[in-house]
Amino acid sequence: MKFLLSVILIALFSAGAEVLIPSWWVIAVVAFLVSLFVEQKAGRAFLAGFLGIALFWLVAALIHDSANDHILSTKMAVLFHLPNYVLFIGVTALVGGLVGGLSGWAGALIRPCPDERN
Amino acid sequence: MRRFFAAFLIAITMGLVYLLDKSPMPGIPAIGRLLNPINGCWANAEPVNKNFSADLKLPVNSNATVWYDKRLVPHIHADNDHDLYFLEGYVHASFRLWQMDMETRAAGGRVSEVVGSKALEYDRKQRRKGMVYAAENSLRAMESEPRTKAMMDAYTEGINQYIASLSFKDYPIEYKLIGFAPEKWTNLRTALLMKYMADDLTGGTDDLALTYLRDRLPKEEFDLLYPERIAGATPVIPAGTVFDKPSLTIPAAPPDSVAFPHFDAADFGEKKEDGKGSNNWAISGSRTASGAAILCNDPHLGLNLPSLWYEVQLQAPNINVYGASLPGAPGVIIGFNDSLTWGLTNNYRDVKDFYLIKPVADNKNKYWFAGKQLDFNKRVEVIKVKGQPDVVDTIDYTIHGPVTYAAQNAKDGGLKKPLAMCWMGHRATNEMLAVYLLNRARNYNQFVDAIMNFQCPAQNMAYADRVGNIALWGQGQFVNQWKDQGRFVMNGSDSSTLWGQLIPMRENPHVLNPAQGYVASANQVTTDSTYPYNYTNSGWVNLRAWRINHLLSTIQKATIADMKTMQNDTYSELAAGTLPIMLKNIRNTSGNKYFETLRKWDYQLSAESEAASFYQIWWNLFFKDRWSEKLKHVPDDHYPLQERTMQLMSSIEHPVYDLKTTDQGRQTNAIENSFKQAVDSIGKLERTVGSDWYKVKNTSVTHLAKLPAFSYDHLKIGGWGNTINAAKGDHGPSWRMIVQMGKEIEAYGVYPGGQSGNPGSKYYADFLQQWVEGKYNKLEFFSNSDKQSDSAVKYVWTVKGAKG
Repeated sequence: MKFLLSVILIALFSAGAEVLIPSWWVIAVVAFLVSLFVEQKAGRAFLAGFLGIALFWLVAALIHDSANDHILSTKMAVLFHLPNYVLFIGVTALVGGLVGGLSGWAGALIRPCPDERN
Repeated sequence: MRRFFAAFLIAITMGLVYLLDKSPMPGIPAIGRLLNPINGCWANAEPVNKNFSADLKLPVNSNATVWYDKRLVPHIHADNDHDLYFLEGYVHASFRLWQMDMETRAAGGRVSEVVGSKALEYDRKQRRKGMVYAAENSLRAMESEPRTKAMMDAYTEGINQYIASLSFKDYPIEYKLIGFAPEKWTNLRTALLMKYMADDLTGGTDDLALTYLRDRLPKEEFDLLYPERIAGATPVIPAGTVFDKPSLTIPAAPPDSVAFPHFDAADFGEKKEDGKGSNNWAISGSRTASGAAILCNDPHLGLNLPSLWYEVQLQAPNINVYGASLPGAPGVIIGFNDSLTWGLTNNYRDVKDFYLIKPVADNKNKYWFAGKQLDFNKRVEVIKVKGQPDVVDTIDYTIHGPVTYAAQNAKDGGLKKPLAMCWMGHRATNEMLAVYLLNRARNYNQFVDAIMNFQCPAQNMAYADRVGNIALWGQGQFVNQWKDQGRFVMNGSDSSTLWGQLIPMRENPHVLNPAQGYVASANQVTTDSTYPYNYTNSGWVNLRAWRINHLLSTIQKATIADMKTMQNDTYSELAAGTLPIMLKNIRNTSGNKYFETLRKWDYQLSAESEAASFYQIWWNLFFKDRWSEKLKHVPDDHYPLQERTMQLMSSIEHPVYDLKTTDQGRQTNAIENSFKQAVDSIGKLERTVGSDWYKVKNTSVTHLAKLPAFSYDHLKIGGWGNTINAAKGDHGPSWRMIVQMGKEIEAYGVYPGGQSGNPGSKYYADFLQQWVEGKYNKLEFFSNSDKQSDSAVKYVWTVKGAKG
């Protein structure tokens, strides 16, 4: 439950932040903060960060791409030496996910350790 | 331990973010910024059904409208000149901002600033040529003329208004890829763009090669191989045209020994520019089906994306003009208005000369001139380099111009003596005034008044109007030269070699309504030998001119369809003149399939022709073989013209010594050897890429940043430099235009690109396929009115004046 909640929170907050704030890396801050406040095991926090951001970037890219009839993504795939535009969309989601995952992981670790609290 | 790991992870995350936020090295984009789906490259993925209509509040004096037709051509209607040029700037920037920025950076040698040290040599070369110096000189002329100052100020204001409205999200994708930001436009940048064109069109030089050759070949042979005026030339201004008496006295040439230095060095730096040709012609109503004059133009320039040209219509009181504009400069460069139409081809009269400078021994600040020691004017050029300290280059300016070649820059065997460059483009010319007046001209006299301000690059300007006149001017600012002045590198320390008086531009060669009923230019020599002033060559060619003159002299009831066919003609005069001789010299032909293919060939360099591939390969090999031994070590491989070679091949009885005997054997050998090599080459091609002509020649339209992903290659188009449809590898017809000046103006045009500079837009290259196939767009010429009910209107910008 907490996992699902984190994924959704990260996706929504980062989408909002990205629209309002010009710096692309606010996604890292969002994933970090959500992990800090929603308590989870480190591994799950990574996954939540990864999925949250990847989901947001994937959906946003898909919206742009379908309206554009893949004109740009096809060219960007060639630029990145990828076989097709689907993979370029995949790379977009992956890069976002990686940043989100690492930030989420770091957020979970910075919390006081459950053992230490006891 | 956990804390330590957490800190470590934070560091790793921050490191990753940092790496993705900055370009790690030139050529690799900042991935995070780029892929961000809100502000990164995805923001450049323009919806295919985007509605371009908008209500804009801009600092214009009164309300204005921009109608876009279905091809996204803007038709700008304004109440006054300021608003008109403001909006042209705003529109150019909206669709072509990165290109304008990059081209003017390239002009002024400011590329390293954004791409790093790999462009440093290029930037240095631009500075040494005096490009910024030239633009600054012209800017002074442009800004001291009230009309051009007002035009350029408004245009710049419009561009900057658009730039100020941008955030990272809105930047053209190339900024996001390369990692820099648009900067404010200035009038200097427009001046730089004009000099960029001037350099492109008058930049080549054969002065160094000819200087070398005249010392090595006997005079008779030199004249035979490199004639100034080729036999049988069909000049731009028809032969037999009577010229007025010159108002200036033609100067006498100084003795050869004073005028020209000699070189020992065998090798010279600069590569010869490969001809930038163009065609234009105008047919009088007496020879057209409709009875109205028709004008056709196709300037051949570098084929790039975003395209050099941008179609636009401009309307304001006293102006209603349509045509090809240059993003980065106001006005319409080639096009038509309510009354008349004009087209441009490059004139190639030599306006760039080189002077050997004699430095004063042991004093690097002085040089010899007319027996006196003069100081070099030192101009310091600061080149900014991304990620590195600035590079400072000091350039010596002499009485002739900047020292372009200098010993310390002699690389790869470049000339080790200082050469100064004297170029018309360095002077304070104001071509913008010509454009301003030309766009508003109502009749022939006003056309002539307008082009008197077009000084450099010299252009052959074809003209046709609605009352049936046709005309052609070999226009530009030229110097009253003594014979052969500037043909070779000159002695820079003697005053007799200095450029003299300027020829009054009204005395430039021209013709109005010639008896032949047509005028045509395709970069051939301007006049026959009766023109009173001296001038020299910097790139005349003849094959296309012969073909065009041949076709026009036989045409009777010309239609627009005929003109389209003509602009796409791929008949090779060169093949027709040389192939029969070449075939005759092949002795063993049995069983050779290529021999038969060639014998049946119609000399059309059509896209899928195998014979065309074989011929072109064979001809190139033969041509090199024919000259390489005789003309060893010629700088830039400056061999005789192909058409001259063709003439010499068939006139072997020419009374010049060894061309008659030993050279004939040499020619036969060269033909046989090159045939064998060509058979090998074409065989290899058949087994790999294919031997269709278009596959072999590979006509490409390349993105300005040389990104293959944004470029198109192996376009299925025929032709070559020697045919009217001059689609070469990276050069070709950059804007094909046909205008019939009847009661209703009927106009067609196409360029290999699209109105949008955005690779993510469906308008990026949407004309390309039509261009390849020889098809045209009908140009929608709206009447000058603030209301358009025209069904051609697809989107509308309603512009509300913030001032008014």
